[in-house]
Amino acid sequence: MARYLPRRRRRGKSRVIVNLPRAVICLVASVTLALAVHHGMEITAAERSPASVSTWKTFDRQQECIYHAIRTDLPKGASIYIDPNGGYAAQILAELSTLWAVPQPAPTSAGWKISEVPGIACSGVSLKVSRT
Amino acid sequence: MIRALVVLIVGLALPGALPALAVVRRSPVIIFLAPFIGATMAAVAAELELGTNGSLVMWYVIIAVATNMAVAAWWLVTRSSLGRDDPPWTWFTFTAVVMLGAMIVPLTGLRAPMLGYDVSAIWLPHTLMVSGGHQAMLSGLQNVTTANPDYPPLVPAAGALAFAFFGRGDLYIAELITVLLNACALGIVGMGIAAVGSKGSLRLRLIAIVVAGTMCMVGFAVAGDYAVDGYTDLLWSAAALGAVIWGLVLPRSNRAFITAWICVAVASLTKNEGLTAALIVLVLITLRYRPLALVRFRRSTRHPENRDNTDVRTSMTIRGWAERAAFILVPALPGLAWDGLAREVGLKNAFFGAPSTESPGARFGPAIDGITSHLLVLPIAVAVFVAGSALLRRDRELNALGHAAWLWMACLLYLSALLATYLFGSLEIHWWLRNSVDRTTIFPQIALYTDLSIWLVIGLGTTSRGDAAPGISRTRPGSPGRA
Repeated sequence: MARYLPRRRRRGKSRVIVNLPRAVICLVASVTLALAVHHGMEITAAERSPASVSTWKTFDRQQECIYHAIRTDLPKGASIYIDPNGGYAAQILAELSTLWAVPQPAPTSAGWKISEVPGIACSGVSLKVSRT
Repeated sequence: MIRALVVLIVGLALPGALPALAVVRRSPVIIFLAPFIGATMAAVAAELELGTNGSLVMWYVIIAVATNMAVAAWWLVTRSSLGRDDPPWTWFTFTAVVMLGAMIVPLTGLRAPMLGYDVSAIWLPHTLMVSGGHQAMLSGLQNVTTANPDYPPLVPAAGALAFAFFGRGDLYIAELITVLLNACALGIVGMGIAAVGSKGSLRLRLIAIVVAGTMCMVGFAVAGDYAVDGYTDLLWSAAALGAVIWGLVLPRSNRAFITAWICVAVASLTKNEGLTAALIVLVLITLRYRPLALVRFRRSTRHPENRDNTDVRTSMTIRGWAERAAFILVPALPGLAWDGLAREVGLKNAFFGAPSTESPGARFGPAIDGITSHLLVLPIAVAVFVAGSALLRRDRELNALGHAAWLWMACLLYLSALLATYLFGSLEIHWWLRNSVDRTTIFPQIALYTDLSIWLVIGLGTTSRGDAAPGISRTRPGSPGRA
């Protein structure tokens, strides 16, 4: 028994020495992953906040309305010009007119010019269509 | 959301279920792999739609039926059965529940129907074009006003399938399909991490599953809004990372190898950067499975009659290189075919058009700053990699895992390719970085977090060396078997 105790203590000590760096690696990795998960939770919370949900639902309604307006106000296959300086709204119009109208790079080759303007028809915006 | 799930399950997962079952048998990764196979078939169908004639649905049905018949025939001929060493159904269910549960919280962000800029500018128009049939697709992509017409067709094809199911009245469904494919990609990454401990003790398996679920959440966190607003960067990044884990980290096996191939195909068919990353990962996987120092070659030349036989040497060398070439080209074929097709029909590349007025030297500083500002986890990952390689290397070897350097090599080679793109591309560098670098660095970011996760599983799962996975440790490295 007297000989056993020191040996056991020695073995315990070496086990600590072996496992300590392992514990440090695990701790660093766990904390880093936990911080990333926390960051993700914050992003998700911001995404589903009432303000965000309301804004994006309005945007979704606007898109759906403009999509139908394009199909109502323009003949199928119409060659259209969308002013590229219109930014995001111009991209949206190009997207929503796909398979119905054919965007042209210059107004001279287009029969119609379309743009998104403030209005009441589509939850705060309207589709403006004019002949070029 | 229900409609999108119907498309994912019925439209993509069901046609991919039998091929997925043939590849991974009763492994829980089948849940995420089946939609991946379906999406790959849809992308190939879109290539055929553009290259020949007809509609996406027609080609998709032909490809899906042909693939399933080929797999069924192979199954009948080989009389292959579900493996006995597959996990029991309780374990299968538990793993699937944890992984799916980990994704629920990030996916609640879908409560706000967000729409990314590129989704309106690129992905939804492309989706509508694919949905419109050959002529609409060809003329739409060739229209000079179409943005990035050369982008690969996987995401538009999957979205167009949704339109085939429910019509074009609700465009948002196509975006939801992309988000669900993002989740599948992270699911494959998570299942790979769970597989690190799949043959070990109960504690190791539980730890691996919990860490895998955590890693899925980390993937969503790194991508941020891009994970749920229809951007495709997380999809190709996580698919490429799935290929890294299954092809370069997990023990060598036919199952892991084919899973990696499918991931590579998805990455290469999703975005141009995905094709670059896929080729890098494929080369590394090939080097791991067919090393340059051929063991078989050495073994054959050990026979006295072969020692001076130059014919044997030559044939072994030719065979070795032919195998390596096939290992790279076969899974990359769909992605390379799209690249060739896009050039053939004159689809322009927005990034390498007119030469830039800025010299590569002037672009170097901003590019390095931009890339490194999104790699905040790098110092920690380096420290854990160095410490892990020094202290836990033996545990890693006992679990028959690939060397950690493989993952780092994939990361560094991709970052080099990314830097070269920013240096030699034609867009104004500051504008370009502002609009892309947070997305183009998703792959290295989640790869580094994955490396941390794997070290965590190894560190927590094996407190002493004798505790390492006994089932795997008996696997002879290099011999095909089951993961």
